[in-house]
Amino acid sequence: MKLQNKVAIVTGASRGIGKVIAICLASEGAKLICLDLNDCDNTVKEIEEAGGTAISLKGNVTKLDEMEKIAQEVIDKFERIDILVNNAGVTRDGLLLTMPEEDFRLVVETNLFGTFNCTKAVAQQMMFQKSGRIINISSVASTKGGRGQTNYAASKAGINGFTRSAAVELASKKVTVNAIAPGVIETEMSQEVVRRAKDIVMDMIPLKRLGNPNDIANMVLFLASDEAAYITGQILYVDGGFRG
Amino acid sequence: MEEKEIYEGVKEAIVEALGVEDDEVEAGSSLFDDLGAESLDLLDIVFRIEKTFGIKIPRGGLQEEILSSEGVKEEDVVVDGALTALGAEKLREKMPEVDAEKLQEGFRTDDLPTLFTVQTFVNIAKMEIEKK
Repeated sequence: MKLQNKVAIVTGASRGIGKVIAICLASEGAKLICLDLNDCDNTVKEIEEAGGTAISLKGNVTKLDEMEKIAQEVIDKFERIDILVNNAGVTRDGLLLTMPEEDFRLVVETNLFGTFNCTKAVAQQMMFQKSGRIINISSVASTKGGRGQTNYAASKAGINGFTRSAAVELASKKVTVNAIAPGVIETEMSQEVVRRAKDIVMDMIPLKRLGNPNDIANMVLFLASDEAAYITGQILYVDGGFRG
Repeated sequence: MEEKEIYEGVKEAIVEALGVEDDEVEAGSSLFDDLGAESLDLLDIVFRIEKTFGIKIPRGGLQEEILSSEGVKEEDVVVDGALTALGAEKLREKMPEVDAEKLQEGFRTDDLPTLFTVQTFVNIAKMEIEKK
């Protein structure tokens, strides 16, 4: 077991990539805190049925004070926090000229401020422990952009910059900070893109298939493991060679 | 609380934060020069001291906190981020534990933490404990 007795928080763990990441980390022995706006009972049930340990906590990543309370709750219960996966994210695609300000704000607040809030909430504990893994879920859109995704691409580009800077700040305390930039992954969130332009998307992927959440979870597992101790401040693309 | 007790708590925080040996830490040890601290380590030490003594140490300019307790205006002691002659004099009086040679007019207040010694943290903790 690569993560025996490690304590991991995964945000946005009720479904999609977050759920698969949580199940994957738990299968390697991590105790999971599944955090989401909605309850994560299904995720917790799957983990427990497989013999793992998990709890579901409801919280809004856009609220720093909520995240700080949750971090304290986790420390009180498990006495440490080893891994944080900042996965919670939303999309509100729309053309720039017609995008309501609130759609831009919501996406940036959830994806980028959410990453800041959760990281800030756990960083002190990881500093005390002199160990920790922070793994942010970015996107190929962070560097390639995407039609109708000014809000999403901006939030994910922000995550890349945040990742590099936080990695430098926390390195002396042996806390690593990395980001994974998935390409087009088959989830509920990407269904619409795939429905509209599957052929175009496929032409951009040399490996000629969409990614699946396990492709991302496997990279999260690697970054969370001891094998990745010397990797920090990196943006790792898991995108089938995407040429956007 | 006795100063000795505060010193022991501060020393423990420093040993844990910096991963140094207990016998390397003395009241006069400079955090940066003698114990190899970096800027993040100071925050680590502050957090640990707060936890140990149940106090809150003000962020963002310990020097302002120290100087404001002297009853002088900030603009008389710090100009464009550097100490005035009066500011340097006040800080030398207030912080006799730091290297007075370095604490002169023109010294950048941002660099003040590089002069901190173990005793500086004992004094800060003591000040906050007394406020409590």
